Amino acid sequence: MTGGPLLRVEHVSMRFGGLLAVNDLSFDAEAGRITAVIGPNGAGKTTLFNCITGFYKPQVGRITLDHPKGPLLLERMSDHRIAAEAGVARTFQNIRLFPRMSVLENLIVAQHTRLMRASWFSLAGLLGLARYRDAEAQAVATARRWLDRLGLTPHADEEAAALPYGMQRRLEIARALCTGPLLLCLDEPAAGLNPRESAELNRLLIDIRDQEGIGLLLIEHDMSVVMGISDRIVVLDYGKKIAEGTPDHIRHDPAVIRAYLGESEDEDLPPEVAADVGEGDPC
Amino acid sequence: MLRDAVIDSLLAGLVAALLALPMIGFRLVDSATGLSLAPRLDWVAWAALAVAAGRFALNLARRALAGREVPAPVALLSARLAGARPAFGWAMIAVAVALPFLANRQVVGIATLVLIYVMLGWGLNIVVGLAGLLCLGYAAFYAVGAYAYALLAQHWQLSFWVGMPLAGLVAAVFGLALGFPVLRLRGDYLAIVTLGFGETVRIVLRNWQEVTGGPRGLSDIPRPTLFGLAMPPEQRVIFIYFVVLALVLVVNAVVLRLRRLPIGRAWEALREDETACRSLGLDPTLLKLSAFAIGAALAGIAGSFFAIRQGFISPESFSFMESAAILAIVVLGGMGSQIGVVLAALLLVGLPEWFRELQQYRMLAFGGAMVLIMLWRPSGLLSGRDPTILLGGRK
Repeated sequence: MTGGPLLRVEHVSMRFGGLLAVNDLSFDAEAGRITAVIGPNGAGKTTLFNCITGFYKPQVGRITLDHPKGPLLLERMSDHRIAAEAGVARTFQNIRLFPRMSVLENLIVAQHTRLMRASWFSLAGLLGLARYRDAEAQAVATARRWLDRLGLTPHADEEAAALPYGMQRRLEIARALCTGPLLLCLDEPAAGLNPRESAELNRLLIDIRDQEGIGLLLIEHDMSVVMGISDRIVVLDYGKKIAEGTPDHIRHDPAVIRAYLGESEDEDLPPEVAADVGEGDPC
Repeated sequence: MLRDAVIDSLLAGLVAALLALPMIGFRLVDSATGLSLAPRLDWVAWAALAVAAGRFALNLARRALAGREVPAPVALLSARLAGARPAFGWAMIAVAVALPFLANRQVVGIATLVLIYVMLGWGLNIVVGLAGLLCLGYAAFYAVGAYAYALLAQHWQLSFWVGMPLAGLVAAVFGLALGFPVLRLRGDYLAIVTLGFGETVRIVLRNWQEVTGGPRGLSDIPRPTLFGLAMPPEQRVIFIYFVVLALVLVVNAVVLRLRRLPIGRAWEALREDETACRSLGLDPTLLKLSAFAIGAALAGIAGSFFAIRQGFISPESFSFMESAAILAIVVLGGMGSQIGVVLAALLLVGLPEWFRELQQYRMLAFGGAMVLIMLWRPSGLLSGRDPTILLGGRK
């Protein structure tokens, strides 16, 4: 550890053709803290997540993760290595489970890297060596711990697709946690949850923060979740950071209020967008 | 209601008449003046009438049964089988072991062929059923294995026990060679590229005269020996059968085990959702390549069996029809099911060989069976999937 923040995003820009989805964005996320990224639809939140987790390669900028073995530059690593080596796990806006596999299998697959090594790339497993059997028992124990904590134990041997929606969301979080991450990125974990489930989720995330000591990075639309649990909030609009601070600070920030409620139409558009709008204008 | 049924059956009769006209409506007459066509319209009329009557009966039956749940016979049968699966597997092994003592040489020969296809089916099942990579050129690996074994045995006098694993290895290398360029492809695109790969291999085998003998193929492939003893043909058929059976059982054990190892679960996860796999640190490249390599190795071993069974191989044994038949075995058997593949191989390879006299109707029966099974059991004969691990108890 170098003592700096767990994740440092510096001057990251991501462009798709003519669209600048993330524009010169910088912020930090600390270990043991919940950092939320909010912003109107299309503000570039999910793009930012995809840059951090390696699904996109940003054209400009640096993303540093403070790993115990030394800082890692995430923008240079491929997606599966970020998950396996840097310890950054994520969930998806539209749930991506392995639908036809059982709940427990979903959690075991998440521990693939460790199990693969323990099974000597399947050789020890094929021979049924104790070395592999122990590793598998340990993986089941880890899965069991998260199943218990997320209240999914009674459904462990059911098909993942058969679970109700709220449980599928929790399973996806459990699966990400089973990878043993340093940083957990949650893309709209409360989407589609009812108020009671949403409150449970709040408690769960706070528990994870306090007990695991890992960093949580959260995209969320549900303001009750964001304001209730975040330690720090980053507000994006049109790919740019327009505000950053504690929930109280953000609640009263004029730029944030303007972005969410709107003032006049194309006053604050970035020059590129303003130019596009101007061209397309029939008048 | 009745009127609808009548109209429907008349329409069906009309369609049948149109179809029957070119198919059975004319007869080739060989007279002194040469060949000529003689119309045979009464046959067409009978065919149309039969279809119309059948359709009418079907309509009536459907109306009589409306609202009542009628289980499809195949579904019923496969539910029974699925319930007794372990016992069923042991029973099949017992029958397979006892077969050479009960049946004649011809039957044992056919059974060997069925076993070869079972092995091919299991190999392709890893690629298609588990890893979800649709491969239409699987016969190429089969061909590579057969040729590799034949060439090794002819040029270097390698024995079967050395040649067979080497044939598997060579096929695995080809699997990797196919795997690399198709890593980024999915679904339809992957299917097209693998189809092209299969044809490429076959055409190379046909044209590379100096090595593969071209369209004439390779003949006089050395037969396997037991501790250096050559055998008369009678015993040899049985010997080959037992060798293939033993290896098929070994492969079954290995594949069943692989499915419960991290690699097997990761293949299934890859089939379910590749993006989620990457987010969990699974390397899709390694998973795809390992699936292709292991699947191809099994095909290569099956190819060496084919070579020793026939004693002769030619490119025409490894056409696209072969790939399609193996894929059909996997799909009919139920993707990811081991015993399902055995049943499908019996159905698709064993029966047609048995009824060789009816060869001209073979493809007709093949297509018919395919349509019926897809209607009744769209996910294959035995398709239920059990979790590979259970909480609180190893499976």
